[in-house]
This record gives sequence, C-alpha cells and structure tokens, in this order.
Amino acid sequence: MGHGHYIAPPKGQYQVQAGEVLNLQFVVLPGESRDIDVSVDLLGPGAEAHLKGLYLCKADEKVNFRIVMHHCAPGCKSTQLFNGIAGGEAQVSFHGTIVVAPEAQQTEAYQENHNIVLTPEAKVTTQPQLEIYADDVKCSHGATVGQLNEDELFYMRSRGIPESEAKTLQMLSFLSPVVPEGREEEIEQAIRTL
Amino acid sequence: MVMSEDKKIIQEFTSGEYKEGFVTDVEQEFIPKGLNEEIVRMISARKEEPQWLLEFRLDALRKWQNMPQPDWAHLDMPEIDFQDIIYFAAPKKDKDRPKEIDPKLAETFDKLGIPLKERDVLAGVVAVDAVFDSVSVTTTFRKTLAEKGIIFCSFSEAVKEHPDLVRKYLASVVPASDNYFAALNSAVFSDGSFCYIPKGVRCPMELSSYFRINAKGTGQFERTLIVADEDSYVSYMEGCTAPMRDEQQLHAAVVEIIVEKGADVKYSTVQNWYPGDAEGKGGILNLVTKRGICKGDGSHLSWTQVETGSAITWKYPSTILKGDYSSSEFYSVAVTNNHQQADTGTKMVHLGRGTKSRIVSKGISAGVSQNSYRGLVRMGKNAQNARNFSQCDSLLIGSRCGAHTFPVIQSQNPTATVEHEATTSKISEDQLFYCNQRGIGPEDAVGLIVNGYAREVLSRLPMEFAVEAQKLLQVSLEGSVG
Repeated sequence: MGHGHYIAPPKGQYQVQAGEVLNLQFVVLPGESRDIDVSVDLLGPGAEAHLKGLYLCKADEKVNFRIVMHHCAPGCKSTQLFNGIAGGEAQVSFHGTIVVAPEAQQTEAYQENHNIVLTPEAKVTTQPQLEIYADDVKCSHGATVGQLNEDELFYMRSRGIPESEAKTLQMLSFLSPVVPEGREEEIEQAIRTL
Repeated sequence: MVMSEDKKIIQEFTSGEYKEGFVTDVEQEFIPKGLNEEIVRMISARKEEPQWLLEFRLDALRKWQNMPQPDWAHLDMPEIDFQDIIYFAAPKKDKDRPKEIDPKLAETFDKLGIPLKERDVLAGVVAVDAVFDSVSVTTTFRKTLAEKGIIFCSFSEAVKEHPDLVRKYLASVVPASDNYFAALNSAVFSDGSFCYIPKGVRCPMELSSYFRINAKGTGQFERTLIVADEDSYVSYMEGCTAPMRDEQQLHAAVVEIIVEKGADVKYSTVQNWYPGDAEGKGGILNLVTKRGICKGDGSHLSWTQVETGSAITWKYPSTILKGDYSSSEFYSVAVTNNHQQADTGTKMVHLGRGTKSRIVSKGISAGVSQNSYRGLVRMGKNAQNARNFSQCDSLLIGSRCGAHTFPVIQSQNPTATVEHEATTSKISEDQLFYCNQRGIGPEDAVGLIVNGYAREVLSRLPMEFAVEAQKLLQVSLEGSVG
C-alpha cells in the first residue's frame, strides 16, 4: 500500500496485507470538534502500521479518538503515538485498543498517548487497552496526563525568555515527535492561539 | 523403573494441586434454598438483629431485584441461579460446651494452618477472626486488644455490642445500591469481621480474617467493616479457601474501610478459593466489592492482594481519596491457570488536594485462562497537584491464554499528573535455558522467574503472608510448562 504521510479521514478501515506498511498521520487543529474512528487490520505476515496523531483543542471543542489495531497474522508490527494539548473547556477522549489474535505470534505492538491539560475546565479521558490472546508477543502501552513542567519554564524565564514564548517552546517540543514534516510553522501558529 | 518413578512424581503433582480441598464433616444447620423477603427476614431473625438492620436488608433486596446483572467484565460468566443457593449455613454448636470450639472445626483450621488457640501462636503476632460458612467461629486475642480500646469481633457481635458504630459506618462507603453484587450482599450478608481502632492507637498485632466455605450448595456473603480513627494504624489480613466440588459456588463479599485523619490502614489479601479442576469444572465465583475512603487529611490506605484461586474473580479494591494530602497504594498479583478467569484491578478517585496514588499490578496467565486488569484513575476538579502512577504488567505462559489491560484515566485538573504504563511479555527461552543449564528444572525455573517478576508486590505483604503467597504462586502454576 505504501501510504505516505497524509491527514487521514476521520473514519476509516484499513486492511494491511503481508509485507505492506501503512503510515497514518492525524492532525486536529483548534477550531473544530472531531470524532475520529479508525480501525486497522494487519492481515498478512510481516504487515506493519505506524500511526501518529496530534491534537490541539481549545474553547468548548470535543475531540474523540477511537483506534482499534487488530493483529491477525504472525510477525506484524504496529506503533501508535498520539500527543495532544487541551485548553479552554475542551474535552478530549482517546480510546485505543490493541487486539492480538491467538495466531498472531511474534507480534510487536506499542501504543502511547500523552496529554497536557492547560486549564482547570479542560477534561481529558484516556483508555489505552490491550487484549492479547497469543503468548509470544511484545506489547506495551503508556498514557500520561499532566501539565507543562515548572522547572523548564523557570529555566527559560531566568534566561530572559518571556513566559508566553517559553510555554510555546515547551508545547512545541512536546508535540515535535508527532508533527508532520513541513507543517511545523502551521502547528506553531496554532499553538499560539491556545 | 525410572518411568514409574516419573509417573509417581507427576501424579503427586497433579493430585496435590489444591491441598485445601477437603470437606469437614460437621453437623450444620441450613435455611431453605432461595432468595426472597422471607429468607432475608429469616436470616435477620436467626441473628437476632435490630429492626434498622432488617430494614436495611429488605431495602437492599428490593434494589437488587430491580437491577440487571452486569456483563461489562471480560468474563465468560455462567448463569447464576440465585434461587438455587442456600444463603445461610452454620455449624451446629455442641450444646454441652457452648464456649468451646467444635474440635472438628478447630481441626479444619489447624489443617489450614490458621491458629485459633492463642497459646499456639507465637507471642501475640496475629489475631484471627475465623469465619466458617455463614458464621464467625472464633476470634482470638480479643482481651489483649480490648485493653487498648480496639474492637475486633465478628460482625454479628458488633451489631449487638456496638450498634452505634456499625450503624454510623455501615454502607457509608459501599451503599446497598452500588452494584448488583453489593446489593445482593447487603440483603443476605451473614457474618464477617468488624474492626475499630480508636484515636491515636497503633494496633500491636496483625488482625486477620480467615474465610472458609464448607457446606455444599451454599454461598458465602461476608461483610467486613474496618474503621481507623484519627492517627491510628492497623494491618489487616484476609485469607480464604474452600473444598473441591464439581458445582460452582458463589462468594459475594463487601469490604468497607474508613480511614480518618492521619490514620494508616494496610489491607492484605491472599485469595485461594478453589479454582476448579483442570477442565474448568467447579470452583468459586468470587464477586467482591472492596472500597475504602481516605476521609481525613493525610490518611493512608494500602491494598495488597495475591489472587491465585477462584474460577472467576471480579474484584476491584478501590480508594476514594477525599482528605487533602491523603494517599493510597494498590499492589496486586493475579495468577490464572487452566480455565480460570480474572477481571481485577482498582479505582483511585482523587478528590482532595495533593492526593497521591500508586498502582502496581502483575498478571500471570497460564493454561487457557483469561486475565484482565481493569482500572480507573480519576482526577477531580479540586485535586490540585494530585499524582498517580500505574504500572500493569502481564506475563503469558503458554500460547492459549489471554492477558488484557483496560485502564481508564480521567483528568479534570490541569495540575494533576497521571502516568500509566503496561507491558505484556512471556518468559523467554533464554531465561529458562539459563536456569536449566544450571540444573534447575523447568517447573522450578518458572517458579523462580515468576517470583522475581512478582517480587515488588510480594515484598509488600506482611511476613506471615509472604511465605504462603510465594508457595501458592508456585503451586498455582504447576504443570503449566513442558
């Protein structure tokens, strides 16, 4: 299939055959509410899927991710990384499931979801789930919900970087692993609107 | 010759799977099967309960009758016929010696290694409340504890002797309408332990409850209530076993813990109910609601559990962190083998400022079992600077078992920090090879690796339990390799 980096449609079902590689990139910028519902089936041996997601939410926006990664064949690999920031009164939910079928031995599946909450009114819910029915697997998932690091902020401010600029830099670095190539400026501008 | 020797060893292994599986032949009295208002009144009357408690039971029964049985857990639950269960069974007391324990009962608890006679115990290490089917048989060390003002007795006695305390705290953490099985328990609960630690008292010994299901066709519905008043400390342990039977038996308990300002409670469980045979026949359905509240500032509640038994486990010891700067921990090892199913985990609800919680869960699945971790971490609006760390690891032994993780994280506070990580892996060939090479057999090697894997949790157990738990882990996994 060999997809390049592109902004995936909000709803999609992807079937990846033996030896194919699927790359998906999700970007949700401030100003819209989105429900993203994607399922990926790794059907043939050696199939791979790599998902990256970035979301920035403010005001009363609601962003929901629902990702199902289904390992159906042996020797497949999947990675997922979703980083996002919630400000205003935004509500973000991330619901990701990795299912490893009994015949999908030698599976490698990783999933990560990191969130930063900027305001007391914003709300983040994350549900990273693993359902594993095979034994020869390497699977892990991680999820965090937190805030901007005070120490980093202090470090920058004590070196003369204004607070708002320092915060922008922090958010940029937090998001950098999931920013699609060539869209850095657009993302930076979006961060400044938060 | 060598072959027959081998066979003998294998036979000993397989037949020695569950050594607590014997039945005690004591005369018992039962009430009729079934569940309705009349049965609830009968249980209440038999226990000579006050009117308010009867009303509490009847109210719970009505709520239960209007509730559907939950099916959200990752369990293949057999249909339970609630009308086919005896809700109360008690060993008949020998009328000539009402103060003594029936020698057969003493023998049973002896076989299980539970000391009931005080003189047998090493100078005051553990105080035990032993519950046999529906009644508490004996509680040891009551006098020693009473000197410090500590109340440790069976629930029925507490209702008679300390009605104000029971009435104040009963159902204050787990209301009757909380869930299907909690409602069932509230309607028919038979006995359990009650424990009250007064202000500023450090309980000098481990308190322990031991639950034993013996009678056929019965269920056990115990209720435990632990109240730790300001600046007190108590460590409480709970253990359980049941005979081997072909039909499944129901165990639906409720545990409530109230931790006041500055108090510290440590609650440990080694659950070893009969898990059913290798084909998945029989076993205990362990459907339990356990919840504690850190009510006052700076209070602390710690849960430690080792789950090796039961055909089905449905259990989520939870903490409500209400007091500012209160903290809670949950350490769990859940082992499933053969056809066992476990859906277990915890809930940490952060309400107060600066509250902290830590979750460490280690799941081990073997055979064709299913083992799930299900957890919730919620950061409320006022949980300023609250902190949670969760780690849930799964270990798979064999290719036909399953391990699942279902965590939910909800944050409504920008200053709160939540971290969750989970891994799933199997015992690697390299590790096994390393041990085999050095003359350690496959069974022992797995035991060694598993104990190392679960060490972080096992080391939290009180000394008395730690040894037992390590052995249990080894026994539960017998026959899972090779």
